[in-house]
Amino acid sequence: MTTIPRVSGFVLVVALLAARAASAQDPRLEHRLDSTTLAAVGALMDSARSAGLPVEPLVQRALEGTAKHAEPDRIIAAVRRLAGELGVARASLGRESSPAELDAGASALRAGVRPEDLTLLRQRRTQSLTVALAALTDLVTGGVPPDSAAAAVLALASRARDDQIADFRRAVERDIALGATPAAAAAVRVDATLHEVTNAAANPNTPRKP
Amino acid sequence: MFEHDDDTLNRMIDRLREPVEMDPRLDARVMTRVASPGFGARAAGAWEWLRRPRAVVISPITGLGLAAAIALLVWFLPIRAPARGESMASDVTPVQFVVVAPGAESVSLVGDFNDWDARLTPMRAVRDGRLWTVTIPLAAGRHRYAFLVNGARWLADPSAPRAQDDFGSPSSVVTVGG
Repeated sequence: MTTIPRVSGFVLVVALLAARAASAQDPRLEHRLDSTTLAAVGALMDSARSAGLPVEPLVQRALEGTAKHAEPDRIIAAVRRLAGELGVARASLGRESSPAELDAGASALRAGVRPEDLTLLRQRRTQSLTVALAALTDLVTGGVPPDSAAAAVLALASRARDDQIADFRRAVERDIALGATPAAAAAVRVDATLHEVTNAAANPNTPRKP
Repeated sequence: MFEHDDDTLNRMIDRLREPVEMDPRLDARVMTRVASPGFGARAAGAWEWLRRPRAVVISPITGLGLAAAIALLVWFLPIRAPARGESMASDVTPVQFVVVAPGAESVSLVGDFNDWDARLTPMRAVRDGRLWTVTIPLAAGRHRYAFLVNGARWLADPSAPRAQDDFGSPSSVVTVGG
């Protein structure tokens, strides 16, 4: 037995593995980010991956930044911020949440929705939360105060289907475009949607809206 | 009648008194079976064999060669980038995008469904070039996108909710399915 070759072989393997790990970035990023930004974004992705968070939204945010010719610092900051939001979304929505739910949850948090409302939504709705979270985010982005938007979506969460929640969001946006105040539009439309949901449950043979 | 029976009985006794011829390998077989260990003993033996330290003698060149071979094997193991939407739902829905861009020479739909690559989804001009449209299949989920006019000007979709902006140019969002 000889020690030196074993040690040198081990060192060689470790060095090559480390080099491979360092270069194991997403090939879509390798071609579009400079080396410094690539290393920083790669480190953020590695952290997210080891925390069990989806990395595809991070890749897409970096690609969006490079497509829009954003400065490297801005791209890194955007990816870092999104990684943090995904972490908070996962903590609020639960470890079993799908990547799409976490992505939508991160957007809701960015819009100003409270993490506690995400948790309440998870508790009240047994179906996927992606559409409900997206509707919540879009309402807030469209001017509905976060508390009012959360109250409206939570009221619908346990009974309304995804398409009914999406219709509710569109109706609120229409009312706002026609001059209603965002909070009033959400309050009126949530009542109408709840009425519709109740009627649909009482008369299951009633045809759905196209 | 009795004499006949006695003869028969005597013949039977004589027959029983004859020595039985045994297979000469019987003793060996029995002793082998008695000495052979059960499954538990065999497993314990195997475990002991695996645990027993051994000195492996290799030359320096063999050690380096072995290390290089392992490194090359690891190096060439494919790392697959996840396809867009792979981790999302597998069902897709055709979604039509329309934007008014009169006088534009080209308009592209760019978003996270095409890795923000402006070359991948060019839009088609209709109505004398005022209206641009394209229909693409989208997986369930929330997608960010924008229109790129003449390869330089970013335009949000006026008919869709606005996305939170990180880069100083507008994007929109579309939510598909559930």
